[in-house]
Amino acid sequence: MVETQANVARLDELLERKGVTRRRFLEFCGAIAVSLGLSEALIPTVHEAIAESVIGKETGALTPVIWLELASCTGCTESFAQVDTPDVATVVLELISLNYSETLSAGAGFSLEEAKEQTIEAGGYLVVIEGALMEGWDGNALRIANEKGTEIVKHACANAKAVICAGSCAVDGGWQAGYPNPGGAIGIQSFLTREQAAGSFTYKGGDGNLPPIINVPTCPANPEHMVAVIVDVLLVGKLPDLNSQNKPSLIFSQYIHDNCPRRGHFENGEFVYQFGSEEEKKGYCLYAMGCKGPQTKNNCPIVRWNRRVSWCVEAGAPCIGCAVSDPATTKNNWVDLNAPFLKRFRNLNIGDIRLQPATLAAAVGGIAAVLLVAHAFGMKATGRTKGGADFERQRKWDMQHPDRAIASAPAVTGGASEEDNGTPAATAAENEESKADSKEGGTQ
Amino acid sequence: MTATTPTPRTTPTDPATTVTAVPTTAAVATAASVGNKPNGQSIIDPVNRIEGHLRIDMEVKDGIVDDVWISGGLFRGMELVLEKRRTADAAYISQRICGVCPVSHAHASAIAGDKSYGITIPNGARIIRNLVEGAQFLHSHILWFYNLAALDYVNPLNALSADVAETVKLANSAGTTEADFAGLKARLKAFADNGQLSIFSGNWFDSKELDGSSAYKLPAELDLIATMHYLEALEMQATASEISGIIGGKMPHIMTSIPGGSAFVPTEEKLDDLLFRAIKLRDWVKNTMIPDTLAIVPFYMDEFNYGGNAGNYIAWGVFEAPSFKPEERYLPGGVWSFKEPGYQQVQNWDEELITESTIHSFYDPAIDNGTPIKPRQGITAPLYKDEYMVPNGQHPAQGARYTWDKAPRYDNKVFEAGGLARLLVAYNRKVPEIVEGIDNVLKALGAEGRVELLNSTMGRTGARNIETLYVATKMVDWVNELIEAIKGGNAATFIEPATRTGEGAGMWEAPRGALYHYMKIKDDLIEKYQIIIPSSWNISPRDGDDRHGPMEESLLGCPVEDVAKPIHALRAVHSFDPCVACAVHVSEPATGRKFSVVTNPWGVK
Amino acid sequence: MAHLAHYRQAHPITFVITHWVNLICMVMLVLTGFIIHYPFIPGVMGAARGVHICCAFVILLNLIYRIVAAFFVKSAPTGGTREVEKDIKSFLPQKDNRHQLGAWIKYYLFLKKDHPLGAKYGVPQKLTYDAIPLLLLCIAFTGFCLWVPTSNAPLFVGFTDLVGGIMNVRIIHYFLMWVFIIFIMLHAYLASIEGLAPLRMMFRWKEHKGLVYSPESHTIVGEDKGEEDNKEKS
Repeated sequence: MVETQANVARLDELLERKGVTRRRFLEFCGAIAVSLGLSEALIPTVHEAIAESVIGKETGALTPVIWLELASCTGCTESFAQVDTPDVATVVLELISLNYSETLSAGAGFSLEEAKEQTIEAGGYLVVIEGALMEGWDGNALRIANEKGTEIVKHACANAKAVICAGSCAVDGGWQAGYPNPGGAIGIQSFLTREQAAGSFTYKGGDGNLPPIINVPTCPANPEHMVAVIVDVLLVGKLPDLNSQNKPSLIFSQYIHDNCPRRGHFENGEFVYQFGSEEEKKGYCLYAMGCKGPQTKNNCPIVRWNRRVSWCVEAGAPCIGCAVSDPATTKNNWVDLNAPFLKRFRNLNIGDIRLQPATLAAAVGGIAAVLLVAHAFGMKATGRTKGGADFERQRKWDMQHPDRAIASAPAVTGGASEEDNGTPAATAAENEESKADSKEGGTQ
Repeated sequence: MTATTPTPRTTPTDPATTVTAVPTTAAVATAASVGNKPNGQSIIDPVNRIEGHLRIDMEVKDGIVDDVWISGGLFRGMELVLEKRRTADAAYISQRICGVCPVSHAHASAIAGDKSYGITIPNGARIIRNLVEGAQFLHSHILWFYNLAALDYVNPLNALSADVAETVKLANSAGTTEADFAGLKARLKAFADNGQLSIFSGNWFDSKELDGSSAYKLPAELDLIATMHYLEALEMQATASEISGIIGGKMPHIMTSIPGGSAFVPTEEKLDDLLFRAIKLRDWVKNTMIPDTLAIVPFYMDEFNYGGNAGNYIAWGVFEAPSFKPEERYLPGGVWSFKEPGYQQVQNWDEELITESTIHSFYDPAIDNGTPIKPRQGITAPLYKDEYMVPNGQHPAQGARYTWDKAPRYDNKVFEAGGLARLLVAYNRKVPEIVEGIDNVLKALGAEGRVELLNSTMGRTGARNIETLYVATKMVDWVNELIEAIKGGNAATFIEPATRTGEGAGMWEAPRGALYHYMKIKDDLIEKYQIIIPSSWNISPRDGDDRHGPMEESLLGCPVEDVAKPIHALRAVHSFDPCVACAVHVSEPATGRKFSVVTNPWGVK
Repeated sequence: MAHLAHYRQAHPITFVITHWVNLICMVMLVLTGFIIHYPFIPGVMGAARGVHICCAFVILLNLIYRIVAAFFVKSAPTGGTREVEKDIKSFLPQKDNRHQLGAWIKYYLFLKKDHPLGAKYGVPQKLTYDAIPLLLLCIAFTGFCLWVPTSNAPLFVGFTDLVGGIMNVRIIHYFLMWVFIIFIMLHAYLASIEGLAPLRMMFRWKEHKGLVYSPESHTIVGEDKGEEDNKEKS
């Protein structure tokens, strides 16, 4: 991270490197203003903009935003760039001041890091985090600007108004946390919670609380959701209602299944059993193909994708549950929880073995059935098939512990076997004794 | 290629002083011999407007890049996550390696799956995959040119001083589209008046050439036009993604391309949605993107001087033809070089000749000991030690490991992948539209027949736009092909495999170049997975013979006026359209699981 | 004939009915459960879900009734007798079963030749029956986590979050179903190896003569050769 210094000192250092004196620089700004065709009156503004900061004014109508990409595929930015309500240009020119974005920013390298630093120093900004944080090799699995991702996140979140985790990776590590989680991926909320508990992260002015965290899962984050969170926060002036996992509850409280246009086919029992089939052409329900819509909370069928042209199920693909996420742990990432995607169940990982719960259950059930059949043959072989074996005359334990026996051998032998226990029939006296016993003890 | 009928342009502000003649090698020396000549370290970290985290570390001597180290700063471990999952899952998960070119990964994975199953996908699936791949190419190329790369050449803040009437005139004379320039200017002014710079924070618009002139050479009016089209491009890339969305359910990360074909069934009601978007895109590329390219390039002719390298090109080929042969794909596969003996005639590729070296990468030396390895036998294991950390102000030491990226080589030679590689292979395979496109553009720039000029920053940049037009044109053809297939009852989209044990490589192209996925499956479970990403070829570090990767080599000799803002180097890097998050990854060892995690600086497990 | 006499006092009619309800509900729940898990019979998903949920409520109400009734209805605590006590006692430890767990296991494993003496329910049987209400509650609980109208209630959301999401709840629900399947298999098997008499008792409430057991002396005290009309009288 660039050291935080007074802006002027930093500028001087910059100029010095270029071999430019401050006076020459002011002249240079004047020249730019003239060449830009701006009136003389505007010159101070331009001067201020360039000299005082690389982020422009530290006050202005727009909310500053830092968009951090960690271990990301840039898919969430790509996704965001396709929004049309409003379009992304309106967002970055008229709604927010996107001071740092690895994909959209015009700058690069040192000057851009400088912009981020100034934004953090000024405060009052939102942080959008895209991608998982990587903790592998002591955080060296992710280095940006020669700094570990872990440090970048702590630094940027410490002074933020709110932290928006865009996409499942930022929420809980996403696919990168999938077994065996080779790079040590972790979601932002877990990370900050842990770091705060360890005393290595403090949210400025947070009174020991974390910054407000808004988790917006889905792979990638649906641009409609991002706009809803970022822009509506600006319009309404408050954070959205969040559920127990800090996800906006309006978006992530209903199952995809409940809003699915194919739900009717589900109820009718009209299913696709093979891709490319007649059933698929008719738009039947993809439940049998492993659709995860019934256990994924999201409103995809309502907001749809790519300017509402379609969404996964409409295109014929079963939902793979990419919005499933759990900010409290990396273990419940959507890949581990939902793969294999074209099966109704996830796989169970037992050591190196992967198998379906149904396979395991059927195997256990099968073994039980086989054992019973084997037992039945045993019953036949031991001649117990006609209503079981003959009763013992006396409990074996009673025979071995006559002093504490609950019952002695019966007076009437009935059909009980005589040869097995080999003990002579109990005397009537003993029988009486036992009756007395049982009355004392009563039935239990 | 009817689109490019460029006419000589006269612009209101006279660009004659800034447009150099088509350069020669000698021109580089003279250009570099004026102005201040800075010395020292120049770093671009992070490189922006690319996918992923890339660090460029350059040693500058007398204003010229003397040595360079390119480092990918992220390790994620895709192959290990894929292991033990189902074959079809790989298509879903592996595309998450990159949000810019997920479709290509889905397809490379699906092809590897098809081969492992031993099946050939039906005709309908072939066309559908081409369509969604093409939509992604258009999305990626349009976004890249206007929204990522253009800010190296276009200064939207400068557009504030444009004269609207002159801008309209300029647009007409350049043959590009008009729009509400006054409205845009007012919008920009409102933006500037607010004072916050937003995405222009920390910009490089004040970069200068060695001679002290501005590195941003466009007249304000052209800046205004380009800014207008920057905004239009945002719409157009979204339109392209709508095609991906219709076929794939959503974009990024499509849902329907899986081993066996496609889950998307092209019903009649979808055809118009596809066709008219394809036509709209084709017309926009033809009428806006190509004229814009031809209007901007003359101001930056010096970029033909920089960014060149050995000139070896590799392409696996993309857009499957009915024959399913890589060399007959619509953008055919092949290996070709300007100079390398044996490759001056285009050759078919041979998977056996690919090797990867990790001698300069963060992988366990005890396991790979620097020997280049064939991807199917990959025995590398990731390992980072604190000693690899390069302190600020220093370069990586001689022989040091300095990146998460590996160094792929073909036939033990350095090869560049990407749009330029595809185009040069197609040019040498005599694909008519490509031959016509390249010849026409060179002619329009006054460099008829000088194909070698394409081996440069501007060549790479322009080639991608020629490819965009080709793909946009083909998209319309493919929708029509699909319509015919549906009419003829030859549009089946899925085939069930008979066996689910086998192995196979999906060799395909992402917008950024040659993409390789390999899988070995048993009973539908993945036993081994390997990926070689386009940008791995391009941002490759040095190999065992200390040869630079293509991008490193391209940066050598780049002029640097200001070590804090090495604009020519940034343009050269962007010309490769690097995609880094996917380039850095790990392969599964052949000899059982071996995955080391170091918890203390010296504690090698 | 070596088995104890089967008198109606062992299984009062109300419990014959609850047993029937349990049987029907469980079979329907398992069958519809399989259809809901994977619709191998197309066309009946709506019906399957309706029946599944309906049977779930019926079996739960039945469970509640069965438990309450156990405290009010009297039944014979052992086989082979017409003496009755509070039914719940049959589900608690009984002297007749004391020290007999080993004997039962040995008997089932053919390590013991003769049939162990015991109360109405043998030791393994009693343990299983006592576990069933608990299992029913567990499977119903996971069912409510899955059933949308109840799934958002804090209690169920809490459990869902605890086990890591709805997919895991589904797997638990599914495994619990298999516990019931295996229970039904074992139960049916062990009941039928005692001959047809217990089945006739349980399903048709028909008595059958056999050995007479004294709950007082905890042992077999004779044999009821039985007049044919014996069962009609009682």
